[in-house]
Amino acid sequence: MKQMLTAFAAVAVIAAPVAAAPVVGRPAPNFKLADANGRPVTLSDFRGKTVVLEWSNPECPFVKKHYSSGNMQKAQAAAARDGVVWLTINSSAPGKQGHVNGGQAKSFVTKAGARPAAYLLDPRGVVGKVYDAKTTPHMYIVNKAGTLVYAGGIDDKPTPNPADVAGARNHVLAALSELKAGKAVSVATSRPYGCSVKYSDS
Amino acid sequence: MAAHRGTLWHLVGALLAALLLHATASAQLPQPGKNAIAASLIAESSAVAPGGTVTLALVMKPAKGWHGYWKNPGDSGIETQIAWDLPHGLTAGPIQYPVPGRLIVGGLMNYVYEGDYAQLIDVHVPADVAPGTALPLRARVDYLACTDEVCVPETAKVAVGLRAGVPGGPQASSPTFDRFRQALPKPLGSEGRFERAGNRFRLAVPLPAAVEPAEPYFFPLTDGALAYAADQSFSRSGDTLIVETDAPSNAASLPAVEGVLRLSDGNGLWLTAVPGRVPPAGEALGTEIQQSPVSLPAVLAALLGALVGGLLLNVMPCVFPILSLKALSLAKSGGDEGTARREAIAYTSGAMLICLALGAVLLGLRAGGSAAGWAFQLQDPRVILLLLLLVTAIALNLAGLFELPALDVGDRLARRGGHQGAFWTGALAAFVATPCTGPFMGAALGAALVLPTAAALAVFAGLGLGLALPFLALGFIPALRRRLPRPGPWMARLRRILSIPMFLTALGLAWILGRQAGIDGMALGLAITMVVALTLWWIGHRQGQRSAWLPLAPAALAVVAALILFPAAANGPPTSSAQTALDSEPFTEARLAQLQQERRPIFVYFTADWCITCKVNEKGALERAQVAEAFAARQVAVLVGDWTRGDAAIGRFLEKHGRSGVPLYLYYAPGKPVETLPQVLTPSRLVSMVS
Repeated sequence: MKQMLTAFAAVAVIAAPVAAAPVVGRPAPNFKLADANGRPVTLSDFRGKTVVLEWSNPECPFVKKHYSSGNMQKAQAAAARDGVVWLTINSSAPGKQGHVNGGQAKSFVTKAGARPAAYLLDPRGVVGKVYDAKTTPHMYIVNKAGTLVYAGGIDDKPTPNPADVAGARNHVLAALSELKAGKAVSVATSRPYGCSVKYSDS
Repeated sequence: MAAHRGTLWHLVGALLAALLLHATASAQLPQPGKNAIAASLIAESSAVAPGGTVTLALVMKPAKGWHGYWKNPGDSGIETQIAWDLPHGLTAGPIQYPVPGRLIVGGLMNYVYEGDYAQLIDVHVPADVAPGTALPLRARVDYLACTDEVCVPETAKVAVGLRAGVPGGPQASSPTFDRFRQALPKPLGSEGRFERAGNRFRLAVPLPAAVEPAEPYFFPLTDGALAYAADQSFSRSGDTLIVETDAPSNAASLPAVEGVLRLSDGNGLWLTAVPGRVPPAGEALGTEIQQSPVSLPAVLAALLGALVGGLLLNVMPCVFPILSLKALSLAKSGGDEGTARREAIAYTSGAMLICLALGAVLLGLRAGGSAAGWAFQLQDPRVILLLLLLVTAIALNLAGLFELPALDVGDRLARRGGHQGAFWTGALAAFVATPCTGPFMGAALGAALVLPTAAALAVFAGLGLGLALPFLALGFIPALRRRLPRPGPWMARLRRILSIPMFLTALGLAWILGRQAGIDGMALGLAITMVVALTLWWIGHRQGQRSAWLPLAPAALAVVAALILFPAAANGPPTSSAQTALDSEPFTEARLAQLQQERRPIFVYFTADWCITCKVNEKGALERAQVAEAFAARQVAVLVGDWTRGDAAIGRFLEKHGRSGVPLYLYYAPGKPVETLPQVLTPSRLVSMVS
């Protein structure tokens, strides 16, 4: 079943008429992935809602920085309050750092007190590559019309030090509040920072 | 049922993956309390003059399998951060990074250092520090250490103790630091241009046409200019090197792009490019070695040419009899199609294997040669001359002027029956029958000298396949066996005719030689060719006698001597290194001091092969006749410092004169302070300078 879903995701993504990498201001590529419970989640189902995509790898020091400081959970909670759909995506390939199965994903979410709407598994890296996700974390925001409005880092302090969260500008929270106020996103792209996404070598 | 099995396998797979992950992770993670990349701080000298600068090196030693990052880490990673704790008044400059390397993991680009490396930092000591004061320098360094699998942010506390010396004291230098400095990119000095054309990023770098980058790669320091993991292609348009690669998907408009152009391993140029027009791609340069060294069409063309050449080999007088003999035996062996096919395949593999082995030997020789500094490029008139001689000799051989000695070893092997016999016949046809294959082997040899490795091997493989093709056809199409033409005098006639294209090739090479080395060079080349031709004629005349090949020895010596003398005798090709009309000698500080003692006026200039401004000044001003006359009249000594390879002593001298790179023009008139000339020279400026 799960294998079928993965294959399905691959087909769904490849069939989508998009360029090699998503462009801010253009429609976000659609995808379908299994969540930690094995249920399929499709991006286009959230049309009419703002969606945040968070690339994650629970063992990456830069991801740990934002979870140990509570920064990511805070952003997830704020998003949930405003009706924003937060999708955490793990593209680590089997055998690579941070690869999780459904059970491990659920226990990560519970232990970290994370609040994503869904934790999606992308072990083949298909969706990660379509979005050109390079680092963990790497953040994307899709607006209610399905347009990509933000791609880049979580904030502007590219360090692994949790102490740097305090003085940083959280690009995702800033963009969400601008979207909520009906304004354009002022910082629509930034340089993502972190560990490389652990795609399979093939 | 199927679903059950699937779940079970899933479980096993997950378990294995977990075990594997655990094993690799625990094997790779550094021991607690020990960094994967050991960092230490050293100073070039322990004493620093007040008001002076001392260079520090942050020496990084990654454990095996680990790497550290360049300032721009690429698709992921972070740059090194240093938090200094310096005595009052001291200031530390930016981190100077050596030329990095590339590492692609899972399709993502990393700009890294996989071996030991040193990041240099200049620390300025204020003038009001009392001599003898202890100056403890401390820093906290944060950097990222990664393997292909995991990343660990590391912190190192480093320190070095300095002492304030005597004001104006000598600046110490150390060979270790010279080595570190040599690894830094050198400032190019000229501005580049970049543009975005559709989804492509294009960059034009002013680089003299004479510079041949062995492994070009542009490391962008500016983020968002280009897609890091995309292939880069390089081409030439005169004195401009053009880099083309993919632009990133969310590219912003950039006011400037900074980066390092690597020419060869560890040798890079630092440059800034501004938006502007980039000329269309010119002559393609061997693209970066690691990704796609040869274009497919080039290899296919070489392969096809070799295939035809191999086919032609079959009608050569001493291959054809072997072939017809074999065909006859196949025809005789009766209708067993299976045996015929197997023999045909054995023959083909024999022929191809020998050809590939010959190719491998040649390529090995070539690799040894380029390691020894021989340039196998068509831009070198000596290589053209060598090819001219080779092609002429081949043509004369085809024309029947002389014969190559026959070898008859291996005949025994070929007489064996069955597949083994067929294999050895193939090998024999390709190797032992060299008297006839020689001409085409010679052509392949010439090609192997100048083609990239893959294409050269393709030539040899194609030659073998072409040679085996008729036999292959005979093995698989029985009807052909009975229609084979008989050996006869027609083969000798065909051989004569085949000498015509070879003579035409020789003519073409002579023309290229003339273009490159001038009319004198061409005349000299043709004279050597004539000597060789006469020698071969003589040999042909004596053939059949015991020592028929003896005359070749003096001729070969003459050719070698000519090849050595050739570039000096020829009018230097327009692209060769600048031959200034000024009498000059290499720059050393000792020689400069000596000339100053002699109270001679001295003109010192620093140049590099990759510096376009330098070359323009040399052509447009320094090599002018009026300048040479004015310098000669005043007996001006000329010292030239060549900074092409980033010589450290010259680098320090440049720095002392406030320059980070070339060009630098200095004039020492006796009894006057040194005069620094502008970066753009004119002949009149130089003439007025000395008068």
